[in-house]
Amino acid sequence: MAKTIDIVMPDLGDFENVEIIEVLAKSGDTVEREDGLVTVETDKASMDIPSPENGVIETLTIAVGDTVSTGDVIGSLTMEVGDTVLITPAIATPITGETTVLASAEDAPSKPAGKQTLVVPDLGDFDDVEVIDVYIAAGDKVEIEDSLVTLETDKAAMDVPAVVAGTIESVLVKVGDRVAAGSSLGIIDAVAGAVPPKAEETVVEKVVPATAAQPAPQPSATEVPKTLPAIDEAGFSKAHASPSVRKLARELGVNLAKVIGKGAKSRILHDDVKSFVKAILTGHSGIPGGSGLPEVPSIDFSKFGEIDVQPLTRIQKISGPRLQASWINLPHVTQHDLADITQLEAKRQELKGPAKERGISLTPLAFIMKACVTALVEFPKVNSSLSDDGENLIYKKYCHIGFAADTPQGLVVPVIRDVDKKDVYEIATELGELSALARDGKLKLAQLQGAGFTISSLGGIGGTAFTPIVNAPEVAILGVSRSSMQPTWNGSEFEPRLMLPLSFSYDHRVIDGAQAARFTTLLGKALGDVNALLKAIP
Amino acid sequence: MAGGESFDDTQVMTPGEIDAAVTGISPGEATHSAQVVVLGSGPGGYTAAFRAADLGLDVVLVERWPVLGGVCLNVGCIPSKALLHAAKVIDDAAAMADHGVTFGSPVIDGDKLRDWKNEVVGKLTGGLAMMAKQRKVRVVTGEAKFESPNRLRLDNGETVDFRNCIIAAGSESMMLPGLPDDPRIVDSTGALELTPIPKKMLVVGGGIIGLEMACVYSALGTDVSVVELTDTLMPGTDPDLLRPFLNIIKPRYEAIMVSTRVTGMRATVPSIEVSFEGDKAPSVGVYDRVLVAVGRRANGGTLDADKAGVMVDERGIIAVDKQMRTNVPHIYAIGDLAGGPMLAHKATHEAKVAAEVIAGEKSYFDARAIPSVAYTDPEVAWVGLTEIEAKAENIEYEKVKIPWAASGRAISLGRSEGFTKLLFDKKTNRVLGGAIVGPSAGDLISEICLAVEMGADASDISLTIHPHPTLSETVAFASEAFEGTLTDLYMPKKR
Ligand SMILES: Cc1cc2nc3c(=O)[nH]c(=O)nc-3n(C[C@H](O)[C@H](O)[C@H](O)COP(=O)(O)OP(=O)(O)OC[C@H]3O[C@@H](n4cnc5c(N)ncnc54)[C@H](O)[C@@H]3O)c2cc1C
Repeated sequence: MAKTIDIVMPDLGDFENVEIIEVLAKSGDTVEREDGLVTVETDKASMDIPSPENGVIETLTIAVGDTVSTGDVIGSLTMEVGDTVLITPAIATPITGETTVLASAEDAPSKPAGKQTLVVPDLGDFDDVEVIDVYIAAGDKVEIEDSLVTLETDKAAMDVPAVVAGTIESVLVKVGDRVAAGSSLGIIDAVAGAVPPKAEETVVEKVVPATAAQPAPQPSATEVPKTLPAIDEAGFSKAHASPSVRKLARELGVNLAKVIGKGAKSRILHDDVKSFVKAILTGHSGIPGGSGLPEVPSIDFSKFGEIDVQPLTRIQKISGPRLQASWINLPHVTQHDLADITQLEAKRQELKGPAKERGISLTPLAFIMKACVTALVEFPKVNSSLSDDGENLIYKKYCHIGFAADTPQGLVVPVIRDVDKKDVYEIATELGELSALARDGKLKLAQLQGAGFTISSLGGIGGTAFTPIVNAPEVAILGVSRSSMQPTWNGSEFEPRLMLPLSFSYDHRVIDGAQAARFTTLLGKALGDVNALLKAIP
Repeated sequence: MAGGESFDDTQVMTPGEIDAAVTGISPGEATHSAQVVVLGSGPGGYTAAFRAADLGLDVVLVERWPVLGGVCLNVGCIPSKALLHAAKVIDDAAAMADHGVTFGSPVIDGDKLRDWKNEVVGKLTGGLAMMAKQRKVRVVTGEAKFESPNRLRLDNGETVDFRNCIIAAGSESMMLPGLPDDPRIVDSTGALELTPIPKKMLVVGGGIIGLEMACVYSALGTDVSVVELTDTLMPGTDPDLLRPFLNIIKPRYEAIMVSTRVTGMRATVPSIEVSFEGDKAPSVGVYDRVLVAVGRRANGGTLDADKAGVMVDERGIIAVDKQMRTNVPHIYAIGDLAGGPMLAHKATHEAKVAAEVIAGEKSYFDARAIPSVAYTDPEVAWVGLTEIEAKAENIEYEKVKIPWAASGRAISLGRSEGFTKLLFDKKTNRVLGGAIVGPSAGDLISEICLAVEMGADASDISLTIHPHPTLSETVAFASEAFEGTLTDLYMPKKR
C-alpha cells in the first residue's frame, strides 16, 4: 500500500530562514530514511536534511538559493506503508521485550496492550537534558499525545508526548533529573488498539453546537499552553508592586523580581514594567532578563565624517549576546603565566617533517591541548560547570576541548572529543580536519557542542597576553599568545629560552586564585615535559 | 486583546460542525453545547459565567437547584447576614437602656422575620436570573456529572457538551457520624430556617459559621451553648482577637466549652441529650435544638470527575494552578472545591481569572491576602499575616495595637471593647497584615487589604487623611503609632 507524505523541514534549533546550498536528490530517486535530501547552511554549520522515510521522491519544490524554516514543506515522498517503520515521537518498549515500534501492519497500526516502558525519544543533538516539568503521576490516565514531561535543552523546552494511551503505573523521573534518548520515564499500562489521533480528531474538536444555525467559533483558548510561563514566583510575590502592575507584568510575562521600581519608595510602576519590556525588545538591556545596566550613549557618527553601515555577520549576531552574557554574569579573573617550550619546540621541529609525510600537521596547539588534559585531570574543577541554580558544581567525567577557530564568517569553536584518549598525532589530525571544515563552513552542529574547556590561540598572530572571555557555562578558558625568545635566569646566568605566554581566564565563583595559579604552573610544567606529552595512548 | 475579537479571527468550523450545519443534527446529539460550561451557580459559578459571557463567550450555567446563587446567596452569607442584622438591632436597642433610651422588650415574630430573610435572598437570586438573561447565559437545571472530558450528563438525562468547563460545585456542610435522624439536629441551612426559635440550643463547632448562628439565636432569646473540639474558638485566629469577643459572649451564653468532644446524641421526646468528654464540660447536656457546624466538605468527589481525567483529592478538593486550571487543561476549578479558604470573595476572584484565561487573557490569581470576617457581635476580621503565622514561619514583624477606647467614635457608639492591630515589616515599614475587632470590623478591614496588596507602608496610611470621627481612623492611628507620631493616645517613646 503506497502513501504519499510531505517532506517537512525538521526542527533546526535556533535557525530560521536558512539557505539551501545544495540539493542532493531529485524526483524519482529512491531514498532511505536518513539519506540527505538537501544541504542547508546555517551560520554555525551546514547540515544535510535527511529523508523522513524510505521511499521514492515524488517532488522537491525547492532549489539552491531558497531559504527555508522549520516546518516548511520542501517536497513529497511516496512510501510503501507495508514496508515502513512508523516513527513516532516517543517510543514505548514493552517490558516483555516485544517491540512497540510499529512495523508492517497492512491496516491501521495498533499498539500492543499491557505494561510498557515510556522512554525518551531521540532528541537529535541533545543527549543530556533536564526534566523541568513532570505531568504524570502514578494512576493518571494518559491519551496519545498527552504531554508526559517537559525537557529543557539549551535551545528550547520540549514536551515528550505519550505514544500509547493507558494508565501510568509508575513515574521514574522527577523535576531536575537529567535524561537522554532512551531513558525510562515511567511505566504505562497501555490500552490496546489506541492509534495516534489525526489532528482533526482530537477530543476538543468533537464538540459541536446544539443548533446548526449558530456554529460555535473555534476558540483560541482550547490551544492554551499546558505550562505557564516560568516566573520566579517567590521573587514575584515579594516585588513592591500594586495589583494592577502585577496584572500587567503577568500579561507581558515579566518577572517582577528583576524590575527596578522607579516610583516612590522604589515601587514598581506600570511604566517601569513597560520600559523593562522595551529594553529587552530593543536589546538595550544587553542580556535577556534585563540587567538594569546604564546604556551606552548613541551617537550619530555621520556628523563627524563619512560612514559605512555593514550588518553584523550571523555568527557575530549569535556570539555577541553569548559573550556579553558571559562577561556580565561571570566574575572573570585572568591569570597570566609563561611556559618554557624550548624543548617542546625543538622536538616538534624534529617530528614535524616525518608527520607531514603522514599528512599530519603537527601544530603547537596539539601539544598545548595534550598538556591541558594533564592539568584538567589534576584540577577537575576547571572542567566543571555551575548548576543553573548556582547550588551545585557539575563535574564532567569526559574531556572534550574546544578551540577557537578564525574563519571568514567569524569565530567558531569546534570541539575535539575525548582528548584524554587521544595521542598528539590523533589530536593534530583532528585539529586539521575540524579547522578545514570550519574554514569551509561545513561543521556539523555536533562538532560544535560538548566542550568542557576551551583554548583560544592567537600564537600564530602575535601579542604577549590577552583576556579571553570564558565560554560560559564552561568555567575557564586558556588564551595562548605568541611565543618568543626571552632571557631567563637559570641561577647563574641568563639563558635564552622560548617562552609561551598563557592567559587563563576563569569564573571566580568556581575557581579561586590559588587554584588558577596552580593550574597554569602545572600546565607550564606539562608543556616542559615533551616526552610525557608524546607518550602514546595505550 | 479582547477575547471576543480573537475568536472572530480564528473562526473555523470543524468537519463535525459543518455536518451539523448541513444536516441540522449534531453527532452525539448533546442536548446543550457551549464554549464554556460552568458547573454550579454559587458566587464562583455565576461570576465565572457572567464574566465569560461579557468576554463574548457562549456560556451554559448548570445548577441542580431551581434558583441561582449557590450556598452564599441561598443558605450562606446573605441570609445569615440578614438575621445577624436583626440580632444587632435587638442588642443595640437593649444596650441603649443604660444610656437613657429604653424600648420595650422585643416581640419576635419568627415567621415574619423568616419571610423578610427569604425576601432578601429572593431579591438577590432573582437579580441573578435576570442578569443571566441579559447576558444570554443559558441556565440549565439539573444535577450534573462528567461523562467524558467534554461532556456532562444531567440527572434528567440531558447532556451538555463543552470546550471548556469551570467546575464551581462548592461544598456541603459536614455532619458528625452516627447522629440520630431528628429534625431538631440541624446544619447551618436548617438553623437559618428559625423553625421554631428554640429555648436551649447547642452549637457544635466553634468556627465562624457556628458562632454567627449562635449570635443570632442568642439575640432572639435562646440560651446558647457552644462546644468546640480544639482549645480555642475560631481556630487559627490570633488569640488576642478573641478576647473582646469572649468578654461579650461569655456572660450571655450558657456555656462555652473548648477542648470538648461530643461523644453522642440521643433524641428523646422533650429534647436532644448530648454527651460530652472534656475537662470543663458536663457529661451530659439537654437541648431542644442542636446545630452541627463542624466544617464543610468540598464537592469535588461527587462529580465523576475521573471520567474527565480531573484529579480530586480525598478531601474532595481539585488542585489548580495560578490560572485555576486543573490537571486537564481545558477544565478549570474555582471556589470552595478548589482549595484554600472557603469564602465567597475568594470564589468570585478565582471565577474571573478562569473566565478570562478561557477567553485568552493572561490572568492569574495573584492576590497576596484573602480577608476573613466573622460577622459576630463584635465582628472579628483579619487579613494578611497573622501573629500565629509570623511566629510559625519566623517572620520578623512589629505589632501596633490601638484600643478603641482611644476612638471617640467607638466610645460614642458605646462600643470601646474592640481594637485595631497592624503588623509591620520592621525593615520596610510595610503593612504585612492586620486585624480589627469591633462593630463593622468586616467593612473596616478593606483598607488593610488594600494596604497589603499595594505594599503600602505606615506613612502611606498615616499621611492619608481619614475622616473624623470614624472607626476607620483607628487604622491611621495604628500607623502613626508605628511611626511614633500618634497624639490621640499616649504611648511610651519607642524611637
Ligand atoms: C451559613 C454560611 C455562612 C457563610 N457566610 C459567609 C460569609 O459571610 N462570607 C463569605 O465569604 N463566605 C461565607 N460562607 C461561605 C460561602 O457561602 C462559600 O464560600 C461560597 O458559597 C462558595 O462559593 P462556590 O461558588 O464555590 O460554591 P457554592 O456557593 O457552594 O455553590 C455551588 C453550587 O453548585 C451547585 N452544585 C453542586 N453540585 C452540583 C452538580 N453536581 N450539578 C449541578 N449543580 C451542582 C450547588 O447546588 C450550588 O448552587 C458561608 C457559608 C455558610 C454555609
